[in-house]
This record gives sequence, C-alpha cells and structure tokens, in this order.
Amino acid sequence: MSQKTEKLIDKKGLRLDGRKSDELRPIKIEVGALSNADGSAYIEQGKNKILAAVYGPRELHPKHMALPDRMVLRCRYHMAPFSVQERKSPAPSRREIELSKVIREAVEPAIFVEYYPRTAIDVFVEVLQADGSTRCTSITAASLALADAGIPMRDLVVACSAGKIEDMIVLDLMDIEDKVGSADVPVAFMPNLGVITLLQMDGILTHEEFEKAVNLAIEGCKKIYTLQKEALRAKYVSVKEVEE
Amino acid sequence: MSLQFQKRNSGQIVLPGEPLGVIEEFVPDTGTYVKDGTIYSKVVGRALIDFLNKRVSVFPLVHGARAPKVGSIVVGQVSSVQSQMATVRIFKIGKKLLSGFFTGVLHVSDVHLRFVESMFDVCKPSDVLRAKVISEKNRTYHLTTKDKSLGVVYAFCSHCGGMLQQRGRSGLQCPRCGKSEKRKTAIDYGKGII
Repeated sequence: MSQKTEKLIDKKGLRLDGRKSDELRPIKIEVGALSNADGSAYIEQGKNKILAAVYGPRELHPKHMALPDRMVLRCRYHMAPFSVQERKSPAPSRREIELSKVIREAVEPAIFVEYYPRTAIDVFVEVLQADGSTRCTSITAASLALADAGIPMRDLVVACSAGKIEDMIVLDLMDIEDKVGSADVPVAFMPNLGVITLLQMDGILTHEEFEKAVNLAIEGCKKIYTLQKEALRAKYVSVKEVEE
Repeated sequence: MSLQFQKRNSGQIVLPGEPLGVIEEFVPDTGTYVKDGTIYSKVVGRALIDFLNKRVSVFPLVHGARAPKVGSIVVGQVSSVQSQMATVRIFKIGKKLLSGFFTGVLHVSDVHLRFVESMFDVCKPSDVLRAKVISEKNRTYHLTTKDKSLGVVYAFCSHCGGMLQQRGRSGLQCPRCGKSEKRKTAIDYGKGII
C-alpha cells in the first residue's frame, strides 16, 4: 500500500494534518442536538462526527433482565454505512459490539447506578463519520448526553487517545496514524476525581513509552474537558436567554 | 491542581463532578455527593451556597431522570383490564413526559372510597387515566384513584371507538353511536388536561 511508505511526521516534526505531537484535532461540541431524546450530544473531533443520544431511565424489557438494586446501562455503538471510505454493512459487527461494551464500562463508573433500581438507561452512539479514535470521541459525547439527560453523575467522563508513530509519542491519533503507526492507547478519565475508567493498548510500547503515552492522553483529556464544560454550560445559558 | 477548590458563588451553573467545598465548611444537601471529604455536584444545576446555615446544594436545571415514586401523580393508558385490577402504561410523571413507559397496577380496592363491584365499571383498555402511586412493593407500581382529581381523563367507546362525552354526573355517552358507559372519571374529564 502507498500509505505504508508515507511519512507520518515531516522534518519539522509536524504530522500529516500539520499538528504538533501534543496537539489535539479541532473539536466542536453541541449539547442537546436531538429534541426527542432525553439527552443528546453531537461532537466533531477533526473528521470524526459522532451523535450520542440517551433515553431513560425507563422500564426494562424483558423484565427479568432488570436488577433489583441498580439500573442497567445499555449502550449501542454503531457506525453508519457511509461513515468510512468503503461502505460498511449496517449490521453490528464484532468490533462494534466490543466497542459498545467498552463505552458502557467507561461511563458506568460515573453514574449513580443505584438511584434508579429496576430501570434501564439506553445510550445510542452513532458514528456519522469516522477518522480514528472513535471510541474516545464516543465516550466524550456519551457522558455529555448523560449529563444533559439529568442523570446524577459523579463526574463527566472525557476520553482521548495517545499513540506511537515513527518512534514518537503523539496525542489524539487519526485514522492513518492508527493504522500505520505502531501503538494506540485510548484513555478515559474523570478529571475532577482523577480516575481512569478506560485504559487499552494496541501495539507494542516499552514501559517508559507507555507511561508517557498515558500521561499525554490524560493531558489531552483535561483539554477536552474544558471544551466539554463550555458546551454543556452554553446550552443552559442560551435556554435562559429564551425564557427572559 | 488547578481544577480543585475554585471560589464559587451562589447561582453559578455547576456541572456534574465540580467541587463545591469540603465537609468541614458545609453540610452537603440535595444534588451533591461527598467523596474523600470533598463535596461535588452530581447534576447540571445552579449551586446554592447558604453561608448562614452552612449548607451547599445544587438546584437542577434539567428535570430529567424521573422514575415513579410513592406519592407522585402519573398519567397512563390502560393496557388491560381484569375484574379485580387494571394494568396501566405510565407515560407521564408529574409534568414530565417519559421517553419510555413504566407499568403500574390499579386494584379495585384502590379505585374509590366507596365499594366498587368490578374493574370493568372503572376503566376500559385504551382509556387515559390519572392516578397516584401508593406503593412500589413487589417490583410493581401500585396506583390509586381515590380522589376527585384522579381517574379517567379520556375514554373511548367500547362499541365504536368514538370519544366519550360526559353526560350527567358520572355517566358517559358516545356521541357517534349513543352507547352509555360507566367510568371512574376525574373531575376535569374531557377538558384536554392530561
């Protein structure tokens, strides 16, 4: 493939889209994008375009799946057929099922799950356009949608990836960097509590490189967190103006 | 850490996980939780810091996340009726419309203060009913309509499906086929108030 020979980092140390090694892609976040959902969020991170919707708490069917002391969090990560270069089958693939579980387990620690026993919360994450680290972007959007639905939460969850391309640890991988580069470390983080809720690694890193990647990803999470807060506040500030 | 312990003012919008103070200075109230001695907000809302009573609470801006509680007024559609009880699909709690629904149960003994013979004189499937939750024992919401303001607010003719109109005290009649029916109506039956 021609991509293999392509240089991911140029002589000045800039990446393919002109970013520095510790720079995020441009992020745009909108909270409450869907009117019929209880809570929703839309996020653009570089070429990633992801919509998250939350419904509930509501009665769980089939009822035997309900838990007597806590609520059930259900999550569906789905990629639209047009979200990638080659048309993707709309049926949930093995990867999508796994990512649904990953996202669910990353946001669950933030939710007061014991407040609504015998109910379910459904989180739907739809990837409209994918360009690397969609799991991280999805987690960021899903936690905003949950907060927008008014569900009591310990903290917002932010996620960001770091990785290794051409012997350099970089922040926020995009699709080519993920595929051609040698390692990828997605991290989900609760910034106020300082708790990591998701940590994965794909590829080979030394101990030092891994530590550097995690710290870089956490720094990235903190940057995204300020944008996340701004977006969530912006919704309520505009609501107030309409009322007056 | 720069995130921690910023000076907060009352009325400021806070987000889940934002620190509001420590338990040494405030008593945590609604909308907050305590972890390792720090008080955090758990909802999106306005922080209310009461320096007089040393209380901190968060007044939520979104009234989402509702499940029926004992005492809440709910609105639902009757999904099935048996002689002793009816099943209700609750789609509204208080003023909040739900995106899904909850299932409630109304027993004949909880319909009226006086004796009611059969549930078929109280409501029919597809009627819209306002009720109060009295218990959530055995994983079901038990409802009551023992009040003037509670009962059927919309009813449909069991013969032709037309909307029943109030005629006299508690009699209902179908304007299309003239059939008379019995219901336990709320005081504002047919006013369009759900």
